[in-house]
Amino acid sequence: MSSVNFGIRASRTPTRQASREPVIGKTISVALLIIGAVAMIAPFLWMFTTSLRDAAQAYDLPPQWLPTEWDWTNYAGAVSGPVPILKNMLNSAIIAIAVSIGMIITAPMAGYAFARLQFPGKNSIFVGLLSSLMVPAQVTIIPLFLLMRTFGLLDNPLSLILPGITGALGVFLLRQFFLGLPQEIIDAARMDGANAWQTYRLIALPLAKNAVSTLGVITFLGSWNAYFAPSIFLNSTDTATLPLGLVLMLGPYGAGNVAQVMAATTIAIAPALVVFLVAQRWIIASLTQSAVKG
Amino acid sequence: MTLTVPPTQLPPAPAVGRRGRPGRISTARRQEALTGYAFTAPTIVGFLVFVLGPLVAAIYLSLTKYNILTPPKFIGIDNYVRMFRDERLAQTYGNTVLYVGAAVVLINGFGLLFAVLINQRLPKALTYVFRSAYFFPYLVALVYVSIIWQALFQKDTGILNYYLTALGGEKIDWLNSSEFAKVSVIIVDTWRNAGFAMLIFVAALQEVPKDMVEAARMDGANEWQIFCRIVMPMISQATFFNITMTIIGAFQIYESIIVLTRGGPGDASRSVVMYIAEVAFNKFDMGYASAIAVTLFLIIMLVTLAQFRLRKSWVNNE
Repeated sequence: MSSVNFGIRASRTPTRQASREPVIGKTISVALLIIGAVAMIAPFLWMFTTSLRDAAQAYDLPPQWLPTEWDWTNYAGAVSGPVPILKNMLNSAIIAIAVSIGMIITAPMAGYAFARLQFPGKNSIFVGLLSSLMVPAQVTIIPLFLLMRTFGLLDNPLSLILPGITGALGVFLLRQFFLGLPQEIIDAARMDGANAWQTYRLIALPLAKNAVSTLGVITFLGSWNAYFAPSIFLNSTDTATLPLGLVLMLGPYGAGNVAQVMAATTIAIAPALVVFLVAQRWIIASLTQSAVKG
Repeated sequence: MTLTVPPTQLPPAPAVGRRGRPGRISTARRQEALTGYAFTAPTIVGFLVFVLGPLVAAIYLSLTKYNILTPPKFIGIDNYVRMFRDERLAQTYGNTVLYVGAAVVLINGFGLLFAVLINQRLPKALTYVFRSAYFFPYLVALVYVSIIWQALFQKDTGILNYYLTALGGEKIDWLNSSEFAKVSVIIVDTWRNAGFAMLIFVAALQEVPKDMVEAARMDGANEWQIFCRIVMPMISQATFFNITMTIIGAFQIYESIIVLTRGGPGDASRSVVMYIAEVAFNKFDMGYASAIAVTLFLIIMLVTLAQFRLRKSWVNNE
């Protein structure tokens, strides 16, 4: 193991004898990485295979890892069962889309203002806003519940949309982006007689296209995956979001029809898979930059 | 993330002379300030209504007795005193602290291990495949991965026990025994989050200057020494970020337990957030639930502030 390079790419070693060691180390590394990758993917593979199998054989052992048949009846069963999964999915989609649209409108505007405009109190407001990142959802949930109850918004998607359309994280990400824009671009627009709104809308915002898309994707996934607040604000099967619907379908102690539950879970995971295939690179870049570059 | 901005990135400060003459601010500057307020208004309103207001309300409610039906009654710090003799709170906080400890060690341990392995000179396609495989679970909702895992954990029908017995082991009651219920929660938590920690570590490892490592190697340092003396200090900022994230995340652990064990058996795997939700929304003891929530807030705030503070001292910047 001494030949495993701890985080450093192997250097070219001059002698032949020494060069054999990294090969052994690399083989061990790749073997370990394969074991890890299998552990990461196997549960998803099992989910998918089980979703295609007859419900009666879902728990057959030894487990079949690859689909033996392509039988989609569990998917039909899942969407026509007592829990209205399709309605739940629609609810999730409406909330996630509304929240994402709201966020990609409000966060870039605020981020631009904090990065590029002068106004009294700017820095204190920004620090206050950022401090909201350390307020966990569990602390505000009780007053929010009472607030939604007062305004009759319980069991209504607005109870999740309204608090979701603004947020400090998006403002922070976009502010970082706008700080990096060359001042000349802004000045040039000003020289041409553009006011602050026009400079933002016509010059700065189009340049932020990638940052805004990333924010949209992250916001969408966050909302699509959310469980805590929906489980408290929504309390009927018709208004439930997809995660709530799936937990209902699973039933207490996993008593539900496992093949159908896995079919529904496969459907529920699909958006994450699409995002993953399309936008993996951006998401990784934006998630890591804040941690490493500080 | 950081609260401070490098001075070079700050917009130019207003000219000193202008400050002394109020009333003579140019129209352009006033217009710019108005635009600034207009641009930030939705975010500020959202912050006041959905974060700051509720936070203040939660602190107030924590000092009251409130059951939703009758108005809150101020009782001072009684709720906080009551916590000290609440055995269920002790149990759920104990479980949560265990989850936090396990998350810090396991998520970051596996994350660092895989990051180091993946950061070697491997074929590009291989690196991409591995990175994708490790990262994917992080994008999937915790509820969904928990639903899959609870099927794998089943005592008689689950795959885990099948392979365990095939290898000559005994069946484990993963979800219904008081020791293993916690273990199952920890396994799912680690499995889902290690990939994120790995990404952060990989990004940091790539910033380690190669010539510095090369020089150490020339001087006869072995790989282990290089790792401990050069690499670890160089990536300390990422390590610290990861530790903070895992602490904050694990203190809020919730839906995986609901799906896997429902907090049971008894309270054996129940987290403090589950307990808060139960006290608030099943027993409608809003005051007491708020008080517990405030303690959680204080913990998370201290951890976050500690990160900001410590980052300046022991964390190696450049």
